Amino acid sequence: MSKAPQPSGLSNWYLPGIFKGLWYTLTNMIKNIFNRKGMPTLNYPEEKYNYSPRFKGSHVLTVKKDGSLRCTACMLCATNCPAQCITIEASEHEDPEVEKFPIKYEIDVLRCVYCGFCEEACPVDAVRMGPEWQTPGLAGSNFNYDIQKLAYRANLKGGIQSSLDDKERHEAGI
Amino acid sequence: METKVLSEHYDKPSFKTLSGYKELSGYEDLAKALKMDPKKIIEDVKAAGLRGRGGAGFPTGVKWGFLPDNGEPRYLLCNADEGEPGTFKDRLMMERAPHQLIEGMIISAFAIGSKKSYIYIRGEYNESIRILEKALKEAYDDGLLGKNILDSGFDHDMDIYVGAGAYICGEETAMISSLEGLKGQPKLKPPFPAIEGYLKKPTIVNNVESLAAVKYIIRDGVDGYRKYGTEKSAGTKLFSVSGNVVKPGNYEIPLGMSMKELIMDIAGGIKPGRKLKAVIPGGSSTPILTAEEALKVDMDYESMAELGTFLGSGAVIVIDDSNCMVDLLGVLMHFYHHESCGQCTPCREGTGWLNKLVHSILKGEAKMKDLELINGVSNHMMGRTICALSDAAAMPALSFLKKFRDEFEYYVKEGRSKIKGVSYAEVNH
Amino acid sequence: MPKLTINGTEVEVKEGATVIEAFKKMNEDIAHYCWHPGLSIAGVCRLCMIDVEGARGPQIACNTLAKEGMVVTNQSEQIKDIVKWGMDFHLINHPLDCPICDQAGECGLQEQYMKFGQYDPEMDQPKVKKRKVVDLGEKIVLDSERCILCSRCVRFTDEVSKTKELGIFNRGDRSEVGTFADKPLNNKYSLNTVDICPVGALTSKDFRFRQRVWYLKNDDTVCNGCSTGCNVKVYYNEDGLFRVTPEYNEDVNGYWMCDEGRDIYKFANKDQRLLKAKKYDGSSWQEQTAGKAMQELHHNLFDDVKTNCSKVGVVFTGQYTNEEYADAMQTFKSLGVASFFEWNDTAENVNDFDDLLIRGDKNPNTKGLQDEAANHSGLKKLADAIAAVNSGQIDTIFVMAPENIAVYPNYQSTYEALSKAKNFIWFGANKTDGFEKTNSQNTYLIPMKSYIEKSGTFSGAKAIQKFNYVTTIVAGALTLSEAMTLFQGKEIEFELRSKPMKTLKNNHFTSNRGKL
Repeated sequence: MSKAPQPSGLSNWYLPGIFKGLWYTLTNMIKNIFNRKGMPTLNYPEEKYNYSPRFKGSHVLTVKKDGSLRCTACMLCATNCPAQCITIEASEHEDPEVEKFPIKYEIDVLRCVYCGFCEEACPVDAVRMGPEWQTPGLAGSNFNYDIQKLAYRANLKGGIQSSLDDKERHEAGI
Repeated sequence: METKVLSEHYDKPSFKTLSGYKELSGYEDLAKALKMDPKKIIEDVKAAGLRGRGGAGFPTGVKWGFLPDNGEPRYLLCNADEGEPGTFKDRLMMERAPHQLIEGMIISAFAIGSKKSYIYIRGEYNESIRILEKALKEAYDDGLLGKNILDSGFDHDMDIYVGAGAYICGEETAMISSLEGLKGQPKLKPPFPAIEGYLKKPTIVNNVESLAAVKYIIRDGVDGYRKYGTEKSAGTKLFSVSGNVVKPGNYEIPLGMSMKELIMDIAGGIKPGRKLKAVIPGGSSTPILTAEEALKVDMDYESMAELGTFLGSGAVIVIDDSNCMVDLLGVLMHFYHHESCGQCTPCREGTGWLNKLVHSILKGEAKMKDLELINGVSNHMMGRTICALSDAAAMPALSFLKKFRDEFEYYVKEGRSKIKGVSYAEVNH
Repeated sequence: MPKLTINGTEVEVKEGATVIEAFKKMNEDIAHYCWHPGLSIAGVCRLCMIDVEGARGPQIACNTLAKEGMVVTNQSEQIKDIVKWGMDFHLINHPLDCPICDQAGECGLQEQYMKFGQYDPEMDQPKVKKRKVVDLGEKIVLDSERCILCSRCVRFTDEVSKTKELGIFNRGDRSEVGTFADKPLNNKYSLNTVDICPVGALTSKDFRFRQRVWYLKNDDTVCNGCSTGCNVKVYYNEDGLFRVTPEYNEDVNGYWMCDEGRDIYKFANKDQRLLKAKKYDGSSWQEQTAGKAMQELHHNLFDDVKTNCSKVGVVFTGQYTNEEYADAMQTFKSLGVASFFEWNDTAENVNDFDDLLIRGDKNPNTKGLQDEAANHSGLKKLADAIAAVNSGQIDTIFVMAPENIAVYPNYQSTYEALSKAKNFIWFGANKTDGFEKTNSQNTYLIPMKSYIEKSGTFSGAKAIQKFNYVTTIVAGALTLSEAMTLFQGKEIEFELRSKPMKTLKNNHFTSNRGKL
C-alpha cells in the first residue's frame, strides 16, 4: 500500500497550485492545436467509439430461420438474473416440434445492470447482449421492453438469426 | 462317427406315426417307467448326469429336485421355442419323431408328479406344429394320454401352445408369462419357477432334447446312458452344424468328441479352396472361437468353459475365410436389438447402442474410440439384467472384437472391409 | 425384526422388508427409478445395485429380502461404476428437452445424474425418435421420448386405481407407454401418475408451463375437497397457489390423492376471492374493510340479536375448522341464539365411498360441526331455515358459507332464499356475480380466510387432523374466530406470521451459492 503524496512546503500555498493547473491547460491546448490526431476525445456524434464484439449493450432476442422467436421460455435467464428484471410467461405452441414459447417476455431495463448473466445462462442462444447502447427515452416512455422491442425493433432489420437451430439438431438425431 | 441313440430311426418316415413308432421303439419304456417309483426316476436322471440341452447345461435331475413337496399341482413345460440362431435340432426331432418327445414328456411328468404339460413351440415351425398335433391326437386315441395311462392310475394331459415370433420367449420365465397370456417378458428371479412358476405353481421348464433323453435313461439305465460321453458331460447330443461346411445338418455325437472330427469328418469339412477361420460353438450367444482353438477343443461342457465359451444349444456355425467378421457381427447385433424385450434399461438401450455402433463401422463413419466404446458398453451390459439376453448380446461383441481386432481396426481406418474390400454402406440387415 | 448393516451402520427393519426399504429408512442415498413404496416391485431400471457379502455378484436392492446379519454396501468403486453406466444407458436416447420440460428442477434424471452420474457422455449416434405431445385424455399429456420405461404408471393403473388403462407397447428400445388405441386416461386418480413419473413424460395439463418449480415454495396441509382429508402439499409463491400434490400418511391416504382434490387451490387464489367486505343498504353496494364491517355490525346488530335472540338463525356449512365452530357457537350461545342450521348440498351422498379415497360428503369437517353442535342446541336442516326466513320467523340470519363452491350446486339459490331475511350477514371466502341478487335491504358480505390461511383441525371420516397455516392470499379477510371476536366488540390480536422459507431440496451446487 502506497501512501498518497502529502502536500508540503510550497504546495501548501494556494497560488502555485493554480498556476500549475493553468500551465497544464495551456500546454495541452497548444499540443492539441498542432496534433489533432493525438487527441483522446472524440467528436461525438460525428465520430463514435468502436466497442469490442463482446460489448454488453441492449438486449436482443434472436429468431429462428422462419422469423419466429427462438426463446423456449425455459426461464433460466430470469432465474440467473441478479437484478430480477426479466419476466416471462410461457405458453403451449400448436406445433409439437416447438412445444413451448413465451407469450410475454419483458426486461425492465432500468433495473438491468448489464451483467450478461442472461446471455450466459441461455441454453439455446435466444438472448444476447447486442452492440447498441444508445437507447434514450423521454419522460413517461416505457422502459419495460417487450418482445416487439427486443426482437423486432427497426435496428435489427427483421431479427437476428440464432446460432442454434432445432431442425438441424433433430435431423442429426440428437 | 455318429452315435445314433436319439436319432436312430429318424431316417424312417413311418417313425412319426404311432404304429411305426411302436414297431421300432415303442412305448415300452413308458410302461416300464410307470411301474417305477417316481423318486427313483429323478434319482436315475440325476445319476445319469443329464444336463439341460437347451443351452444352459443345468443338470436336469437337480432342477427336478428343487420342486417343493407341498401337494400343489405342478406343471411341466417343454421349451420348443428354439430361438437360438443356428439351432435346428429340436425341429428335426419334432418333425421326424414326435412320439419320442411325447413319451419322454410323459415319463418326466410322471417323475415330477405333474398332471398337465404344455409344449411351447415357436410359431414359425408350421410343419412341426402340424405333425405334433397329429401325433398328440394319435396318443390320446390310443390311451397314452388322458386318464389312467396304461392302467397305471396316472392321469396326464398335454397341450401345444404356439408362440408368435419372439426369441425372448425361449427364456423360461418369459415363456411362462407368455403362456399365462401376458406380455412375453421375463420375471424377476427369485422366486424361481420351480417354486412359483406358471399360475404361481411349481413349474419345470426343460428343452425338447432333454425330455426325450429321459426315455433313453429309462431304457438303457444309468450305466447304459453313461456309456457315451465324459464323466461330467454324459450321454449323446444332437448338434446342428451349419455355415461353410460341405454337409450341413444335424448330427448326434457322444459328448467329448473333438470339434475337429465333427466339422472335418462328419460334416464333410470346409469347401475346397477355403480355410477354416472361426467357429461359433453353441449358438450365436456364445463367444466365438478362432480356427486354432476350434481344432483343439472337445465338444463337452468343461472343455468349452475352459476356453471361456459355452457348449450352449449345440449350434455349430462354421466360418471360413471368405467372410468379413465385422459384417457378421452386424447381423448378430441387429438380431439382438430386434429381439430385446425392452424391460430393463441396460439391455434395451445397450443392444440398440451396440447395433448402431457396429453399423456405423459398416457405413465407414466410425472412429477408433468407438471400438473401446463397444467394449465398455458390452462389459456393462453383462450380469446387470433380469435375463441373459443382455449377456447373449454382449458376449459375441466382446469376443469378436477381441479375437478379430485387426479386421475391425482396418474397417475403421480404411472405411471398407479387409476381406471383401468394399464397405457395407448400403447395409440391408 | 432382522438387523442388517448398510455401509457400516446397523439398521433394523420389519419382517419381509427389502434392502432398499432399509436404505430409505436410514436416508442413505441409493439410485433408483422403478421402485416406489406404494407399488409392486418391477426391478427394471437396474440402478439400485448393492454388494452383498457372500453373494455371487451385484444384486438389486429392491428385490433382495433383508436378512439378519446381512452386510450391504453400495460405495465400492465397482458399484459406482455400474450406477454411472446405468445412468448413461438411461440417458442415451433421452431428448434434450430440459428447457421445455416441466419436470426440470424436480427431475429424477437431473437429480440422480448430479448425485451418481457425472460422466462425459460418449453417445454420438442418432437417438430413437418417438411420439411427443400425445393427448392422453383431459388431464394428462404424454411425451414418449422422455419416458424411461420405469413402468411406475402402468403398475399404478394396474394395482391402485385398478382401471388398467396404461400399458407398454412394442418391444426393445421402440417401447412406448400409452393407452390402447389412444383411448383417454380418464380415471379419478390419473394425476397420481404425473406425480410418480420421475421424468417429464407424463405432465398435467393444468400445471403445464405455468411456473418453474424452483420458483415455488411448498407446505403441508389437509385437503378440504371431501371428508377423507388426504394430506397434501400445496405449492405457492407470491402470485398465488399453483398446484397440489399428495403427502404420505399411513392412516389416511397412503401415498395417493384423488383428482378432484387437485383443484382445491383454485378457489383459494386471489381471482376467486372476496377481497373486501361489501354492504348493501337497499340502494347501492359499498366496499369497506372487513374489520370495519364487523365493528358496524357490532354497533348496529349486537344488542338487537341479544334482545330478539329467538328471531336469529345461524347457518353453518362443514368447511370450517373445529376451533372456529367452537368460537362461533359459543358466541351465539352467549347471546341466547339457539337456532343453528346445517347446510350441506352433498348430504344424501354422505355414506358413499369408492373403496379407495373419494367420499361422497364433499365437506372436510361435517363431523366436527355435528360434534360441536351436539354440545349446544343441535342442528336443524337448511330447509327449516329457508321456511323460517320466508315466514318471517327469522329476521336476522348469519350464514357461514362454503369456500369450495363447486360442490354446492344450490349455492346461488340458497343465497337468494336466505337473503329474504331482514338482516342478512354472509361470511364467505369466494365472490360470485350472483351476490348482486340479494333480497335483503341490509346485506353484509364479510370475506373469510381460506383453509390455507389458517391453522385448525378437521374431523374427517378417517382421522382428526390438525393442519397449519401455509400462506396469506387475501390479507384483508378474517377467520371466523376473528370475526366473532370483532362482533362482540373486542379487538383481535395480530401476530406476525413469518415463517422460515422452505424451498425444494438443494443440491451441492445451490447450497454453495454465495460462497467462494
